[in-house]
This record gives sequence, structure tokens and C-alpha cells, in this order.
Amino acid sequence: MSSAKKHEHYNCADIEALAQRYVDGQLNDYENRLFEEHLEYCLPCDKKIQFELKLKEIVHIKGREMIPDEKLKLKLKNLFTDLL
Amino acid sequence: MAKEKDNSFTKLVEPHLNSLYSTALRMTHNLHDAEDLVQDTLYKAFRSINQFQQNTNFRAWIFRIMVNTFITAYRKAVKQPMKISYDDMEEFYLYKRLDETVSLQETSKEEFLENIFDDDIKNALESLPYQFRLVVLLCDVEGFSYNEIAEIVDAPLGTIMSRLYRGRKLLQRYLWKYAKERGYIKDEFSQKT
Ligand SMILES: [Zn+2]
Repeated sequence: MSSAKKHEHYNCADIEALAQRYVDGQLNDYENRLFEEHLEYCLPCDKKIQFELKLKEIVHIKGREMIPDEKLKLKLKNLFTDLL
Repeated sequence: MAKEKDNSFTKLVEPHLNSLYSTALRMTHNLHDAEDLVQDTLYKAFRSINQFQQNTNFRAWIFRIMVNTFITAYRKAVKQPMKISYDDMEEFYLYKRLDETVSLQETSKEEFLENIFDDDIKNALESLPYQFRLVVLLCDVEGFSYNEIAEIVDAPLGTIMSRLYRGRKLLQRYLWKYAKERGYIKDEFSQKT
């Protein structure tokens, strides 16, 4: 990192621009540290990001179709009966 | 010989079967088509298992087969132009709408999310245009990384990120709409938007 970067900080616009990558865990360590440093002192940004994280979690849980294990095993078995 | 191949293939596939079915269901909208799609995918994967390199990402590999199978089978539907307005694709769309909603207390935004019905999430996902739906499913529901998604849908990283961005904004718009229809949001101003 150059010496100019040592004192780099993110502003609210940076947070907005990087929100998606942060929520998806796709920032590098350096970006991640600057991102979280901003959240520590900026409550409005922190609230928005916590909301996005929560929404992602809700979509993860509620968007998934849970199929009983037994049913899946049976399907696999049937597939091979057809196949062989 | 065939039995051995059968067994090792079963072992590889089994942990991902629920994910494949779940994604297939969201993509095809019905159980019958989802079953066909998964079955076709498994046949193809089984036949080309020699092309799969040991110790590489099997989950991404088989999802890629399923996505290709889906695109081939639904070519017509997939090629339909998308009629979407990108006017209110602002960041934090849902958060901002809830923030403007006087009848909701600050503390209940997370509660609002927790109270969303499973069916509303599923409907919102299934209402997304297929390119957007696919990346949102792969990222949010299945937990793939951007690089894996790029590999699965065979598109550049930048394309994946912009589809994801738009898909999520649309999803938030649908969830906001459902909330109003279900009467969660009672503020008068929100009836117009
Ligand atoms: Zn801020």
C-alpha cells in the first residue's frame, strides 16, 4: 500500500457503492477493514447494512425448498433403476 | 463396473440434491418440470462424469450442467425481452421505504423482515426475470461466490454483479408491494407508490 493509502477512509458514498460486495463477503481484507471502520462510527450506514444482511439471511432461509431426505434418496434410487 | 460408477456418483450427488431441486423449482415454477430438469441434469452429469476433474468443485460443476439444461429447454422463454423499469433501482430500496413509513417504529424493520411469509419470498424470487432470478438464487439461497456463479452461468464477473444488483432491487420492490397488499403498511402515502 502507498503511504497515501494509510489514512484512507470510506465515506457514506463508498459504503453504498460497496454494499453489495460487503454483504456477499466479496471484499478483500483491506476493503473489509475500511468498510467496517466506517460502520463503527456511522450509525445510518450501519443500520442499512445490518438490514441488507438480515434480508439476505431471510431470502436464504425462506427461499429454499426443503425436500425430505427419504424422498431424495428414493428419487436417486429410481434414477439409477432407469439408468442401468 | 457399472455398479461402482453408480455408487461413487451417488455419493457425489447426494449432498447437492436438495439444492438442485430447490433451484429447479424456483426456475421452472412447478414440481413436475423441476423433477424433469433435475433428472435430465443427473443423466447428463452421470454420462459426462469422466470430464469432471477429481478434487475440483463438483457443486459448481453440476449446477453448471443444470443451468445449461434449463437454458436449452426453456430457450424461448429465456430469450423474451425483459420489460422492466429501472427507474427506482436505488440502493437500500426497501430500507428507505420502511424508513419513510411512519406507522413502523425504528426497531421493527428487522421484525418486518422476519414476518415476511415464506410464500412471499418464494413468489418474489419466482417473479424475477430468469437471468436475475438465477444469480440471486445461486448467491443468496445457495451461497455460491461471484467466481463460482460466473463459472456456472458462463458470464463475466461484472455481468454477474450487475444482474445480482438489479435482481435484489427488484426483489425488494416486490416485497414492498406484497407488504402493502397484505396491509402491513398502513401509511396513506405508500398506497400510491
Ligand atoms: Zn455512512
